[in-house]
Amino acid sequence: MQIISSEQNLSAVKVAVEETNKRFEEAGITAESCQHRSGRKYSFVHINCPPNHWVSLAKWLRFEQGVDYLSMITGIHFPLEFEFFSGQPGYNPGTPEKGWEVIVHLTRKGIKNPKVGEQTIINPTKLTGMDIPLEYQISLVLPQTDEPIIPSVQSIWDGADWNEKETWDLLGIEFEGHKNMMRVLNPHDSPPGFHPLQKQHKIRYHNHNEMYDDAQGFMRKPLDSDKKK
Amino acid sequence: MAEMWITMGPQHPMTHGLWTLRVKVDGETVVDTVPELGYIHRGVEKICEARNFTQITPYCDRLCYASAMTWAQSYIYAAEDMLGAEVPERAEYIRLIAVEMQRIASHLMWLGAYCPDVGNLTVFVWCLRDRELFLDLLQELGGSRMHYNFPRVGGVKRDLPIGFAVRARAKIEMFLKRLHEYEMLLDESTIFLVRTQGVGACKAEDMINAGVTGPNVRAAGVNYDVRWAHPYSVYDQVDGVASVEKASSNEGSDCYDRYRVRMTEMIESCNMIISALDSIPGGDETHYNKKDEMIYIKPPIRAPAGQNGFHHFEDSRGESTFYLAGGGGKKGRGEFPYRMSIRSPMFITIPYVAKTMIGYKVADIPAIMGSFDPCIGETDR
Repeated sequence: MQIISSEQNLSAVKVAVEETNKRFEEAGITAESCQHRSGRKYSFVHINCPPNHWVSLAKWLRFEQGVDYLSMITGIHFPLEFEFFSGQPGYNPGTPEKGWEVIVHLTRKGIKNPKVGEQTIINPTKLTGMDIPLEYQISLVLPQTDEPIIPSVQSIWDGADWNEKETWDLLGIEFEGHKNMMRVLNPHDSPPGFHPLQKQHKIRYHNHNEMYDDAQGFMRKPLDSDKKK
Repeated sequence: MAEMWITMGPQHPMTHGLWTLRVKVDGETVVDTVPELGYIHRGVEKICEARNFTQITPYCDRLCYASAMTWAQSYIYAAEDMLGAEVPERAEYIRLIAVEMQRIASHLMWLGAYCPDVGNLTVFVWCLRDRELFLDLLQELGGSRMHYNFPRVGGVKRDLPIGFAVRARAKIEMFLKRLHEYEMLLDESTIFLVRTQGVGACKAEDMINAGVTGPNVRAAGVNYDVRWAHPYSVYDQVDGVASVEKASSNEGSDCYDRYRVRMTEMIESCNMIISALDSIPGGDETHYNKKDEMIYIKPPIRAPAGQNGFHHFEDSRGESTFYLAGGGGKKGRGEFPYRMSIRSPMFITIPYVAKTMIGYKVADIPAIMGSFDPCIGETDR
């Protein structure tokens, strides 16, 4: 099987990073070239974007850069204080500036409809310029708040529709402008405000004894631990 | 005629797993559809926030019982990206062999489940018979019939067993002959052709925009494949191409094209396995219990905050993606992932397919839905 070479990948990433930085210099959007840490160590484009500029960045990527595919939307909750076990000392994953993060993975695939009765056979080694498939990772950081909200891109990529539904369902991040928001994985009659991937929900039952709170036995002591030997 | 809503499901004739499709019909014509998912939501993403990187693999196996190996490997590549693990080349070859076998077994399961829906029960029995050939081979690798727990972060669990290559070659040779029988049985069956041809048209660009990938897009005439676009493993070292079909009408590919592309994909996977067995470093004999460094390199076990990883992977149903954020665990030292996010191809595909049914008859619903190979285990997670 012929594959995209690392030179093709590097050249595409370089051009994409330069163009993004040039286009959105004033808006505070910064793009950088990042590298995977294993395998072939190919590069991808990482963009830090303030949430208020997300829609304009998305439109530019979709209609001028040919980013035709939205792979995944991931929400992450960074509370100021986080206890892994109830009642045990925890740590502080979040800061006042960073309470929530939404990470969007996009891919430029460059797929065009073939003519009727024909095939498009792409030869990866001959792809150049904008045709080279490219991975984007967009990071949208929200401050500490009880009601996180970012603009929706449902109208830009159809694939964002159910990804945003899922992110709201599990994380509670609102998507402004999203039509027909509903529960998709949790039961449809779940109480409002119940979003299980928020960090205040513990993995096991709340305030239960160690058998349930600590299934792995990290805090369990041997039966004779308090006896003198 | 008055329009009305019908509820199809949660027990479905066309999928293994529970989900509901609410259909608005006008006579026999579908006017609107609403899928309802989540019946078997287990909360895998939350559970894995309290599991270390080795313990997560079996949970990923159980995302889809028909295609456990591809899901486990999809996770493994993302975890390696996050931890920065090195993998020996022989382990990459063994993984490739395992995942292509799983792809064949998964497509056989699809064919066996799909054909009874569209009027051919014989193929169901034949497919399950031949799927056993590959499940037996995978059992030799992983030790279990469906949930293998075979790949590891940094390599694989075991080397190829004694005589594995001989049996794999013989079984593939036999399977390729039988695949020809399937084609004769299905391509000359009038019932099968009438039920699938000209039904469920989808265009390539629409599918990509909606997030549908994999064999379903390749059926529409584009040979896009993650295996060459965002390369991983050693696919550049083996023979085989991304199988592709010609879209048969102006509206795009139909159910028949999606059946054809999976048949050719099974042949391509067979070629890749044979080619990988021919060129595997160290030879296709076993090195079991002799040289572990050939198949496994110990990876780092912690990923501190800020060390994230993601990986696009060609699953047998489309593009699966894992995103892992480091810095989790009891004190934030990174022995567990802080957040694990799973992108299931079918979770995105099912709402799209539900919309493509609009305008077709009620009797076409199983034919259209089944042709996309839905799997509810990975959808609900």
